Amino acid sequence: MKFIRNHLAFIFPMMAILLGVEFFLVFDRTTNSYEKGLKEGYSMFVVTKKPFKVEEFKTLNKHISESLEIDKDRLASQISDGMSQSNAREILKELPYFYNLKLDGYLKSSALEGIKEDLMSSKDIKKVETFGNSYSDSYRLFTFIKFILNVFIIFMSLISLFLIIKQMEIWRYAHKERMQIMKVFGAPLMLRSGVLFRVALIDAIISSFLTSGAFLLLKYKLASDNHIEILTQKQNLLFQSSDFLILIVTSILIVLVSVSLVVFGNEE
Amino acid sequence: MSTMSTNFVINASNLTLSYSDEDIIKDASFSVKKGEFVFITGPSGSGKSTLLKSFYGQLKPKSGTVVVGGLDMSDITEGKLQELRTHLGIIFQDYKLINEWTVKKNAVLPLMIAGYSVDVQNTQAERLLKHVRLSEYKDRYPLELSGGEQQRVGVARALAKNPFLILADEPTGNLDEYSSNVIWELMENACQQLEATVLVVTHKIPSMFSHRYRHFIIEHKGVYEVH
Repeated sequence: MKFIRNHLAFIFPMMAILLGVEFFLVFDRTTNSYEKGLKEGYSMFVVTKKPFKVEEFKTLNKHISESLEIDKDRLASQISDGMSQSNAREILKELPYFYNLKLDGYLKSSALEGIKEDLMSSKDIKKVETFGNSYSDSYRLFTFIKFILNVFIIFMSLISLFLIIKQMEIWRYAHKERMQIMKVFGAPLMLRSGVLFRVALIDAIISSFLTSGAFLLLKYKLASDNHIEILTQKQNLLFQSSDFLILIVTSILIVLVSVSLVVFGNEE
Repeated sequence: MSTMSTNFVINASNLTLSYSDEDIIKDASFSVKKGEFVFITGPSGSGKSTLLKSFYGQLKPKSGTVVVGGLDMSDITEGKLQELRTHLGIIFQDYKLINEWTVKKNAVLPLMIAGYSVDVQNTQAERLLKHVRLSEYKDRYPLELSGGEQQRVGVARALAKNPFLILADEPTGNLDEYSSNVIWELMENACQQLEATVLVVTHKIPSMFSHRYRHFIIEHKGVYEVH
């Protein structure tokens, strides 16, 4: 029982850190995917007096990457439905040119306003609509949640690291006599501390498997069983095979750092 | 070891040892030659164990020097001290065995530290445990043995790497007469057969001891030879 308790006292804080790392990875992927979606789905609406080529837009602002002209004929036919052909031709002649502009990345509202000002500086551009507010509101909320989560993860990781080091101190104390005997017979520090590294590495690997297992369970079972759409729709973002490697490497690094801190810090 | 180039295994000169500024041994000068069997006696608290600790670098001299195996313990580096300790055999009153390890593994600890292969360790374990008459206990754990048997494991461990110097701190202090005699016999053999220098700290020299020996006594913080 004591044996299990000792190991859980290491595994739980390690899992807390690994869960934090995995949450960070998942949230980072989700934010990137969301940002990509926004970037691809977003376009500015521009009304011009004369036809514009994309290069002309680019000379006004370098963030413009693509321009799509909206078909004037189709617009005119919709407007002039039921009118005579001569009236329809007149309307078509009077209609300005409409464009959807794509940008080279996700930009903040202030940057969008900057683009708008640059475009409006041209006397041939009549109107620019950025749709700035609706575009960035949800994204701002999303990045704010991400920031809060990152702060929480860092805070939780620091506390967990502190608990891991405390557990290492307990283990070092438990193995103190063995380490002292080995020292008297000339064992170097690394050999004396081998038992700590061994136990901690085994627990670190167990923690990585448990954390990966928890996320796999969430990905393939809990999300669909509980009909959590946001998770089932973005299932590929939840836990990727490369994450396991990241968790293992992270846990081993934590072990190396914490054992070294305890062992070298207490060397007389 | 630099020991091989000098006749003295231990050479102390004006050695002063202290704990928390209180001198335990003061201005002691003596030397021990290769192959000698030495007893150091004295009343409880006289500083016998303290003196012994200075020989394996557990305590640094406050002043004066103590040279062990050609190495000055006053300014020995950690690396050199580790190296020296792998050539020493140390026996403790309370055995200092690793209770989670089997008798066999305890016996070959010095070989493990020196990086010998498992095959060599196993072969040597058989030899050592046969020598201390514990072959049948090789897979047991220390706490399953009597005090005398545990100390025999301690002796086996001390002899594992054919040390040039065996240091024993009250090796029979916790043992009955029969077990004590077995330990003394093993240590006499070590001195004769391995040509090791043996230095024993004890409160009383055993009456049945037949080997030629030198005797130092600690009195009033000084170390004096008894002729």
